[in-house]
Amino acid sequence: MNMETTPPALSEADQLRQAIAHGEVDAFLVGRDDKEKRVLLLAGAYQRYRQLVEQMQQGAVTCSVHGDILYANQRFAQLIGVPLSQLYAAPLDGYVSVPDRARLASFLLVSARLSAIELSFSRRDGMQLPAKLELVSFADGYATILVTPLGQQQWASVAEDSLNLMRTALEGLNRASIADGPAKRSVELLAREINSLSRLVDEIRHSRPQG
Amino acid sequence: MSSDEIWELRLYTAGQTPKSLAALANLKRLCEENLKGKYRIEVIDLMANPRLAKEHQIVAIPTLVKKLPSPLRQIIGDLSDKEKALVGLQITPAHR
Repeated sequence: MNMETTPPALSEADQLRQAIAHGEVDAFLVGRDDKEKRVLLLAGAYQRYRQLVEQMQQGAVTCSVHGDILYANQRFAQLIGVPLSQLYAAPLDGYVSVPDRARLASFLLVSARLSAIELSFSRRDGMQLPAKLELVSFADGYATILVTPLGQQQWASVAEDSLNLMRTALEGLNRASIADGPAKRSVELLAREINSLSRLVDEIRHSRPQG
Repeated sequence: MSSDEIWELRLYTAGQTPKSLAALANLKRLCEENLKGKYRIEVIDLMANPRLAKEHQIVAIPTLVKKLPSPLRQIIGDLSDKEKALVGLQITPAHR
Protein backbone atom coordinates (compact mmCIF):
# COMPACT_ATOMS: atom_id res chain seq x y z
CA MET A 1 0.00 0.00 0.00
CA ASN A 2 1.36 3.44 -0.90
CA MET A 3 1.20 5.68 2.15
CA GLU A 4 1.03 8.81 -0.04
CA THR A 5 -2.34 7.66 -1.32
CA THR A 6 -3.62 6.76 2.12
CA PRO A 7 -6.86 8.66 2.77
CA PRO A 8 -6.99 10.98 5.77
CA ALA A 9 -7.53 9.17 9.04
CA LEU A 10 -11.12 8.67 9.94
CA SER A 11 -12.27 10.83 12.77
CA GLU A 12 -12.41 9.01 16.07
CA ALA A 13 -16.18 9.29 16.24
CA ASP A 14 -16.61 7.85 12.78
CA GLN A 15 -14.14 5.10 13.54
CA LEU A 16 -16.11 4.26 16.68
CA ARG A 17 -19.37 4.21 14.75
CA GLN A 18 -17.90 1.87 12.15
CA ALA A 19 -16.37 -0.45 14.75
CA ILE A 20 -19.75 -0.77 16.50
CA ALA A 21 -21.64 -1.21 13.23
CA HIS A 22 -19.24 -3.95 12.11
CA GLY A 23 -19.40 -5.75 15.45
CA GLU A 24 -15.67 -5.29 16.14
CA VAL A 25 -16.03 -4.28 19.78
CA ASP A 26 -17.67 -6.14 22.65
CA ALA A 27 -17.08 -3.83 25.59
CA PHE A 28 -17.29 -0.16 26.53
CA LEU A 29 -15.76 1.90 29.24
CA VAL A 30 -18.51 3.82 31.02
CA GLY A 31 -18.70 6.17 33.98
CA ARG A 32 -18.75 9.93 34.50
CA ASP A 33 -15.32 10.17 36.09
CA ASP A 34 -12.27 8.07 36.85
CA LYS A 35 -13.72 6.77 40.11
CA GLU A 36 -16.86 5.55 38.38
CA LYS A 37 -15.17 4.07 35.33
CA ARG A 38 -16.05 0.45 34.71
CA VAL A 39 -16.16 -1.96 31.81
CA LEU A 40 -19.58 -2.72 30.38
CA LEU A 41 -19.60 -5.96 28.38
CA LEU A 42 -21.97 -6.53 25.49
CA ALA A 43 -24.05 -9.71 25.61
CA GLY A 44 -21.90 -11.44 22.99
CA ALA A 45 -18.88 -11.25 25.29
CA TYR A 46 -20.69 -13.46 27.81
CA GLN A 47 -21.86 -16.02 25.29
CA ARG A 48 -19.00 -18.51 25.65
CA TYR A 49 -18.98 -18.33 29.45
CA ARG A 50 -22.71 -18.84 29.40
CA GLN A 51 -22.39 -21.89 27.15
CA LEU A 52 -19.78 -23.30 29.50
CA VAL A 53 -22.00 -22.79 32.53
CA GLU A 54 -25.00 -24.23 30.72
CA GLN A 55 -23.14 -27.34 29.58
CA MET A 56 -21.34 -28.25 32.79
CA GLN A 57 -22.52 -31.16 34.87
CA GLN A 58 -22.90 -29.17 38.06
CA GLY A 59 -25.80 -26.96 38.97
CA ALA A 60 -25.05 -23.26 39.24
CA VAL A 61 -27.18 -20.72 41.09
CA THR A 62 -26.74 -17.06 41.81
CA CYS A 63 -29.01 -15.75 44.53
CA SER A 64 -29.31 -12.84 46.92
CA VAL A 65 -28.46 -13.16 50.59
CA HIS A 66 -32.20 -13.53 51.11
CA GLY A 67 -32.26 -16.54 48.79
CA ASP A 68 -34.01 -15.01 45.78
CA ILE A 69 -32.71 -16.69 42.64
CA LEU A 70 -31.18 -14.29 40.14
CA TYR A 71 -29.73 -16.89 37.79
CA ALA A 72 -29.76 -20.69 37.56
CA ASN A 73 -28.39 -22.96 34.87
CA GLN A 74 -30.30 -25.70 33.09
CA ARG A 75 -28.50 -28.43 35.04
CA PHE A 76 -29.71 -27.04 38.36
CA ALA A 77 -33.27 -27.00 37.03
CA GLN A 78 -32.85 -30.66 36.01
CA LEU A 79 -31.43 -31.63 39.38
CA ILE A 80 -34.44 -30.34 41.27
CA GLY A 81 -36.92 -31.29 38.55
CA VAL A 82 -38.34 -27.81 37.99
CA PRO A 83 -38.59 -25.88 34.67
CA LEU A 84 -35.87 -23.24 34.47
CA SER A 85 -38.42 -20.51 33.78
CA GLN A 86 -39.95 -21.08 37.22
CA LEU A 87 -36.69 -20.47 39.02
CA TYR A 88 -36.06 -16.82 38.24
CA ALA A 89 -36.78 -14.62 41.28
CA ALA A 90 -38.09 -17.70 43.12
CA PRO A 91 -36.90 -18.31 46.68
CA LEU A 92 -34.19 -20.99 46.71
CA ASP A 93 -35.30 -22.33 50.07
CA GLY A 94 -38.59 -23.36 48.48
CA TYR A 95 -36.65 -26.20 46.85
CA VAL A 96 -34.71 -27.19 49.96
CA SER A 97 -35.99 -29.77 52.43
CA VAL A 98 -37.70 -28.12 55.39
CA PRO A 99 -35.15 -29.25 58.04
CA ASP A 100 -32.30 -27.79 55.96
CA ARG A 101 -33.82 -24.38 55.28
CA ALA A 102 -32.35 -22.71 58.36
CA ARG A 103 -28.90 -24.00 57.41
CA LEU A 104 -29.30 -22.59 53.90
CA ALA A 105 -30.31 -19.21 55.33
CA SER A 106 -27.21 -19.20 57.56
CA PHE A 107 -25.03 -20.25 54.64
CA LEU A 108 -26.27 -17.35 52.52
CA LEU A 109 -26.02 -14.79 55.31
CA VAL A 110 -22.47 -15.72 56.24
CA SER A 111 -21.48 -16.92 52.80
CA ALA A 112 -18.38 -14.75 52.87
CA ARG A 113 -17.05 -16.99 55.65
CA LEU A 114 -18.55 -20.42 54.94
CA SER A 115 -17.36 -22.08 51.78
CA ALA A 116 -19.52 -25.21 51.58
CA ILE A 117 -22.44 -27.05 53.14
CA GLU A 118 -24.33 -30.26 52.45
CA LEU A 119 -28.09 -30.31 52.42
CA SER A 120 -31.05 -31.97 50.70
CA PHE A 121 -33.15 -30.48 47.95
CA SER A 122 -36.79 -31.49 47.67
CA ARG A 123 -37.36 -32.45 44.08
CA ARG A 124 -40.67 -31.73 42.43
CA ASP A 125 -41.33 -35.48 42.22
CA GLY A 126 -41.03 -35.76 46.00
CA MET A 127 -37.56 -37.34 46.02
CA GLN A 128 -34.84 -35.89 48.21
CA LEU A 129 -31.58 -34.93 46.54
CA PRO A 130 -28.58 -34.67 48.88
CA ALA A 131 -26.14 -32.16 47.44
CA LYS A 132 -23.04 -30.21 48.26
CA LEU A 133 -23.28 -26.43 47.91
CA GLU A 134 -20.00 -24.63 47.32
CA LEU A 135 -19.65 -20.88 47.31
CA VAL A 136 -17.88 -19.69 44.16
CA SER A 137 -18.14 -15.96 44.69
CA PHE A 138 -19.90 -13.42 46.82
CA ALA A 139 -20.24 -9.84 45.58
CA ASP A 140 -22.76 -7.01 45.72
CA GLY A 141 -25.05 -9.04 47.97
CA TYR A 142 -25.22 -12.00 45.60
CA ALA A 143 -23.76 -15.44 46.14
CA THR A 144 -22.89 -17.74 43.27
CA ILE A 145 -23.10 -21.37 44.29
CA LEU A 146 -22.12 -24.62 42.62
CA VAL A 147 -24.45 -27.52 43.37
CA THR A 148 -23.01 -31.03 43.17
CA PRO A 149 -25.30 -34.00 43.83
CA LEU A 150 -23.78 -36.25 46.45
CA GLY A 151 -22.65 -39.54 45.01
CA GLN A 152 -23.84 -42.92 46.23
CA GLN A 153 -21.00 -43.30 48.72
CA GLN A 154 -21.46 -39.79 50.07
CA TRP A 155 -25.17 -40.44 50.34
CA ALA A 156 -24.38 -43.60 52.35
CA SER A 157 -22.25 -41.49 54.71
CA VAL A 158 -25.14 -39.08 55.26
CA ALA A 159 -27.43 -42.06 55.95
CA GLU A 160 -24.85 -43.58 58.31
CA ASP A 161 -24.73 -40.33 60.30
CA SER A 162 -28.51 -40.37 60.62
CA LEU A 163 -28.44 -44.00 61.71
CA ASN A 164 -25.90 -43.25 64.41
CA LEU A 165 -28.17 -40.54 65.78
CA MET A 166 -31.08 -42.99 65.77
CA ARG A 167 -28.96 -45.64 67.57
CA THR A 168 -28.07 -43.13 70.28
CA ALA A 169 -31.74 -42.25 70.71
CA LEU A 170 -32.63 -45.95 70.87
CA GLU A 171 -30.05 -46.58 73.60
CA GLY A 172 -31.60 -43.73 75.56
CA LEU A 173 -35.02 -45.34 75.24
CA ASN A 174 -33.65 -48.73 76.32
CA ARG A 175 -32.01 -47.18 79.36
CA ALA A 176 -35.39 -45.71 80.28
CA SER A 177 -36.41 -49.37 81.05
CA ILE A 178 -39.67 -49.43 79.19
CA ALA A 179 -41.15 -52.60 80.74
CA ASP A 180 -44.02 -53.51 78.52
CA GLY A 181 -46.86 -52.34 76.37
CA PRO A 182 -47.08 -50.39 73.09
CA ALA A 183 -43.99 -48.27 73.95
CA LYS A 184 -41.78 -51.37 74.22
CA ARG A 185 -43.13 -52.71 70.93
CA SER A 186 -42.40 -49.36 69.30
CA VAL A 187 -38.82 -49.46 70.56
CA GLU A 188 -38.38 -53.01 69.21
CA LEU A 189 -39.84 -51.93 65.88
CA LEU A 190 -37.47 -48.99 65.78
CA ALA A 191 -34.50 -51.27 66.52
CA ARG A 192 -35.50 -53.61 63.68
CA GLU A 193 -35.83 -50.68 61.26
CA ILE A 194 -32.42 -49.35 62.28
CA ASN A 195 -30.84 -52.77 61.66
CA SER A 196 -32.62 -53.02 58.33
CA LEU A 197 -31.44 -49.56 57.26
CA SER A 198 -27.94 -50.36 58.49
CA ARG A 199 -27.79 -53.43 56.22
CA LEU A 200 -29.06 -51.32 53.31
CA VAL A 201 -26.32 -48.74 53.87
CA ASP A 202 -23.72 -51.55 54.01
CA GLU A 203 -25.02 -52.88 50.70
CA ILE A 204 -24.75 -49.42 49.16
CA ARG A 205 -21.22 -49.04 50.48
CA HIS A 206 -20.14 -52.37 49.02
CA SER A 207 -21.97 -52.07 45.72
CA ARG A 208 -20.11 -51.06 42.56
CA PRO A 209 -19.88 -47.32 42.13
CA GLN A 210 -22.28 -45.87 39.59
CA GLY A 211 -21.11 -43.31 37.07
CA MET B 1 11.15 7.13 10.93
CA SER B 2 14.33 5.11 11.00
CA SER B 3 14.04 1.49 9.95
CA ASP B 4 15.47 0.39 13.31
CA GLU B 5 12.85 2.21 15.36
CA ILE B 6 10.84 0.02 17.71
CA TRP B 7 7.08 0.21 17.37
CA GLU B 8 5.41 0.58 20.73
CA LEU B 9 1.85 -0.65 20.64
CA ARG B 10 -0.63 -0.76 23.48
CA LEU B 11 -3.76 -2.88 23.25
CA TYR B 12 -6.60 -2.11 25.63
CA THR B 13 -8.69 -5.23 26.35
CA ALA B 14 -11.58 -6.24 28.59
CA GLY B 15 -10.40 -9.50 30.12
CA GLN B 16 -10.81 -12.47 27.82
CA THR B 17 -13.72 -11.39 25.68
CA PRO B 18 -13.83 -12.83 22.15
CA LYS B 19 -13.10 -9.46 20.53
CA SER B 20 -10.19 -8.73 22.89
CA LEU B 21 -8.65 -12.12 22.14
CA ALA B 22 -9.24 -11.67 18.41
CA ALA B 23 -7.61 -8.24 18.50
CA LEU B 24 -4.50 -9.61 20.24
CA ALA B 25 -4.21 -12.51 17.82
CA ASN B 26 -4.71 -10.25 14.79
CA LEU B 27 -2.22 -7.72 16.13
CA LYS B 28 0.46 -10.35 16.72
CA ARG B 29 -0.06 -11.72 13.21
CA LEU B 30 0.06 -8.26 11.66
CA CYS B 31 3.25 -7.35 13.55
CA GLU B 32 4.99 -10.62 12.70
CA GLU B 33 4.18 -10.16 9.03
CA ASN B 34 5.13 -6.49 8.80
CA LEU B 35 7.27 -5.44 11.78
CA LYS B 36 9.15 -8.59 12.68
CA GLY B 37 11.65 -7.95 15.47
CA LYS B 38 10.74 -4.27 15.62
CA TYR B 39 7.70 -4.11 17.83
CA ARG B 40 6.60 -4.26 21.46
CA ILE B 41 3.03 -5.03 22.45
CA GLU B 42 1.68 -4.02 25.84
CA VAL B 43 -1.72 -5.41 26.80
CA ILE B 44 -3.76 -3.40 29.30
CA ASP B 45 -6.70 -5.25 30.83
CA LEU B 46 -9.29 -2.60 31.67
CA MET B 47 -11.48 -5.18 33.37
CA ALA B 48 -8.80 -5.41 36.04
CA ASN B 49 -8.12 -1.69 36.21
CA PRO B 50 -10.49 0.65 34.30
CA ARG B 51 -8.58 3.76 35.41
CA LEU B 52 -5.70 2.86 33.13
CA ALA B 53 -7.87 3.98 30.20
CA LYS B 54 -7.46 7.62 31.19
CA GLU B 55 -4.18 8.20 29.36
CA HIS B 56 -5.71 7.50 25.97
CA GLN B 57 -9.39 8.36 26.60
CA ILE B 58 -10.57 4.86 25.70
CA VAL B 59 -14.29 4.44 25.06
CA ALA B 60 -14.71 1.13 23.22
CA ILE B 61 -12.79 -2.11 23.71
CA PRO B 62 -10.65 -3.47 22.18
CA THR B 63 -8.69 -0.39 21.14
CA LEU B 64 -5.12 -0.36 19.88
CA VAL B 65 -2.89 2.65 20.46
CA LYS B 66 0.29 3.19 18.50
CA LYS B 67 2.53 5.12 20.89
CA LEU B 68 5.68 5.07 18.77
CA PRO B 69 6.67 6.01 16.17
CA SER B 70 4.75 9.24 16.36
CA PRO B 71 2.16 10.39 15.56
CA LEU B 72 0.03 8.66 18.15
CA ARG B 73 -2.79 6.74 16.49
CA GLN B 74 -5.78 4.77 17.74
CA ILE B 75 -7.63 1.94 16.08
CA ILE B 76 -10.92 0.82 17.57
CA GLY B 77 -12.01 -2.77 17.03
CA ASP B 78 -10.68 -6.31 16.78
CA LEU B 79 -8.30 -5.55 13.85
CA SER B 80 -10.06 -8.14 11.71
CA ASP B 81 -9.91 -5.72 8.76
CA LYS B 82 -6.22 -6.02 7.99
CA GLU B 83 -6.13 -3.24 5.39
CA LYS B 84 -7.84 -0.81 7.73
CA ALA B 85 -5.44 -1.75 10.52
CA LEU B 86 -2.39 -1.18 8.31
CA VAL B 87 -3.70 2.18 7.12
CA GLY B 88 -4.64 3.19 10.65
CA LEU B 89 -1.21 2.32 12.00
CA GLN B 90 0.51 3.80 8.95
CA ILE B 91 2.37 0.58 8.33
CA THR B 92 3.70 -0.05 4.89
CA PRO B 93 3.06 -3.73 4.22
CA ALA B 94 6.25 -5.81 4.08
CA HIS B 95 5.01 -7.58 0.94
CA ARG B 96 1.75 -7.76 -0.97
